[in-house]
Amino acid sequence: MPEVLKPSDISKPSKQLVHITPEDLPPLPPPYEDFNKKTITELKEEKISKVEASLDDTVAIGIPKPKNREEEEQYLRAFLSGLEKLFQKENNWGFLQPLLLSMEHCAKCQTCSESCPVFETSGRKEIYRPNFRSEVLRRIYRKYIRPYGKLTAKLAGDIELNWTTMARLAELAYRCTLCRRCASVCPVGVDNGLITHEIRKLFSQELGISPKEIHDKGTIQQLKVGSSTGMNPVAVKDSVEFIEEEMTELAGYKVEIPWDKEGAEVLLLHNAGEVLSWPENVGAFAIILQAAGISWTLSSESVGYDGVNYGVWYDDIQLARVAVKHAQIARKLKVKKILIGECGHAHKALTVIADRVLTGDLNVPRESAIVLLDEIVQSGKLKINPSRNDFPITLHDPCNLVRLMGIVEPQRRILRKIAPKFREMTPHGVENYCCGGGSGFAIMSSYNFAEWRTLVSSRKKLLQILEAFKDEPLDMPKYVCAPCSNCKGSIRDILDYYRAKERSHLYYGGLVELIVNAMEGMKPMIKFGED
Amino acid sequence: MGLQIFSYLCLIVFLAAVLARIHKQLKMPVHFRWELYPVQHEPGEKASYGGSYMEEVNWWEKKRQKSLGNEIKYMVPEILLLRGLREENRTLWKVSFPFHFGLYLLFATLFLLSLGALVLVFGGRIAPDAGFFPSVVYYLTLLTGFVGLVLGTLGVIGLVYRRFNDPNLRNYSSPLDYLNLFLFLLFLAVSLPAWIFFDPSLDGARGYIHSLFTFGGRPSGSAGGIGVLGGLSAFLSSFLLAYIPLTHMSHMFMKYFMYHSIRWEDAPNRRGSRIEAEILKNLGFKPTWVAPHIGADGKKTWADLAAAKEKEG
Repeated sequence: MPEVLKPSDISKPSKQLVHITPEDLPPLPPPYEDFNKKTITELKEEKISKVEASLDDTVAIGIPKPKNREEEEQYLRAFLSGLEKLFQKENNWGFLQPLLLSMEHCAKCQTCSESCPVFETSGRKEIYRPNFRSEVLRRIYRKYIRPYGKLTAKLAGDIELNWTTMARLAELAYRCTLCRRCASVCPVGVDNGLITHEIRKLFSQELGISPKEIHDKGTIQQLKVGSSTGMNPVAVKDSVEFIEEEMTELAGYKVEIPWDKEGAEVLLLHNAGEVLSWPENVGAFAIILQAAGISWTLSSESVGYDGVNYGVWYDDIQLARVAVKHAQIARKLKVKKILIGECGHAHKALTVIADRVLTGDLNVPRESAIVLLDEIVQSGKLKINPSRNDFPITLHDPCNLVRLMGIVEPQRRILRKIAPKFREMTPHGVENYCCGGGSGFAIMSSYNFAEWRTLVSSRKKLLQILEAFKDEPLDMPKYVCAPCSNCKGSIRDILDYYRAKERSHLYYGGLVELIVNAMEGMKPMIKFGED
Repeated sequence: MGLQIFSYLCLIVFLAAVLARIHKQLKMPVHFRWELYPVQHEPGEKASYGGSYMEEVNWWEKKRQKSLGNEIKYMVPEILLLRGLREENRTLWKVSFPFHFGLYLLFATLFLLSLGALVLVFGGRIAPDAGFFPSVVYYLTLLTGFVGLVLGTLGVIGLVYRRFNDPNLRNYSSPLDYLNLFLFLLFLAVSLPAWIFFDPSLDGARGYIHSLFTFGGRPSGSAGGIGVLGGLSAFLSSFLLAYIPLTHMSHMFMKYFMYHSIRWEDAPNRRGSRIEAEILKNLGFKPTWVAPHIGADGKKTWADLAAAKEKEG
């Protein structure tokens, strides 16, 4: 392969297009230097011999290789058919205009590149450049879909579509976290994140190709069982009952979590992952809402207790199905509004994107819980004693919440009120860096993908966290506040992998836990050093 | 008259292409919201830190506020000075800004030449001694023309150099990208000497526009034609006028839609609104995606599929 890859090089078969060495990754400061020698574990040949694995050091999907020429041709025909459908209003009205504008107006100035944490932390590997996959798609589209494409390809930029191109492109669509930082710096307004999103859709909606964690175990399981965690309504009620008991013990506050209360003001939609992995988050929400006198409820109906909507990352039909189900449940309960808990993508999916799916009485108002929490905290309904949070705290901004939805200040107003040692990361707000687990990465762990995420896509976030606390003693406990389940999962993984708890006393958690921790009369909820 | 006919044709192509592009955008189906913050029509501080109306409790019960002032405050330096590029890619801005600003000035020159030509059509004169307004037009045309040509030339040379020498740009550039730049380079390389050596007062250029207004007429007291180089300049400028909206360079005006129809398109869907009516229409489309979990059969609508559980897991 040539030293600097060009978009057309994606078509050229090779064992592996890109390899990341330890030297490519930005060095970590003390006491993490020993990790500077780490790189992604090589995948064993027997594990990847039957799937597409020639892009880089990892595999996100694992597309089975075609058995023969005929099967390869079928793949390619389906790919082109799907590509054509992306540009038809009957099939893609939801993104047709944004897609066309981004496909037609790129000036190839590469301004987007410097904003991409994956491109930067990988040692500027060309395939991760935001415009690389976009340019590949543009060339295929112009050559194989547009009239006279094969004639004009030599002039407008050529590419060969073959199995290698197609399969690598599918994998490459899962090396971008859809944080859309690149789009926010484009001088023209081109959105490479959107093009990545559309590539994912093409593969899912036409070829049925997507990572199993977000499809089979994600939206399919959620619609079938009730939750992407696999919890059915009985299991979730059991778990929440346990949380009620735990909260009484942990915080010393008798909390009652209401189920299916018709006519409640608020239907709270948690990411069900909180129930399993961070039950204190669910409990803290209950304490705050109860203490503030809010009329609220959870739903025990299938899908109604899991606010996640993985469709937002890869499949519009699945997105619409989950969103409609959420809205139907809210309508049935006759609540005044749906409140989205600490889950970034659930915010964007139901509040912003599904806003153009829900009509009539399904258009139940949706609101970020952070906004209501801000009002509660500022109102004085809770007795706050900020000195109870007397430890260094920094805030991670979930992309979906800030850059993609414009909820920036409420969480800061809360922290300024409850956390005397709060400090910002650099950069923050709408210029934040993704946790590295966006767009499904936090839950994807097939092959060695989790390692790629921890070493490459999350590295920028780790560096930011370390920088935010660089003036604090290593042995002082520090808290990374991440008001989003996926971000928390991702930050948990980087803190674990780099042993940051032992080395820097770094802990993480949500926002509501900090609020409850600051409430007078409660037992301290945040206990450093305890799991 | 051949050159004039060519200019007319180019003008027709320009107008048709611009209108077709705008029409296509206006006819696009309402899409999912995909805004990106900061959204500059947000009022007050929100526009600068990137806040939205969704930062407020029960936002749907409140009257939506939009600030045209904030939008203009953002757009003017963005359009005129390419502020975004300056902040994010200073090296490229150093050559891209003079090129774009030069083009703006050349458009301004074209406008001023047309204004002057109109004065000629009505029997007036454009000259330093022809009164206040004609003299202002005369000098302004010279100023915008000179600065525009010089800046444009410097900019396009810089852009060609960058595209050839920076592998980040070169490896993504197609022959068409180079051709586009060379067309501008050719136009500027012809126009600069045409003006300096053969038409320093721009009377010839004004006369040419006058001939377009009058279908071949010549202004009374005209100093003469535009010469071979001037003719070539008119030919190339006409060609570029027609060519730009046919290419990705139409981002010069399509940027409006990229910002207002996508990036800042945050209008909430309210019951009974025009947006809701459009969505209902879109939900009636019958998709043909064939992945099994979709369950599309060409008869089911988006609404049917969204309300249904997946066909198989």
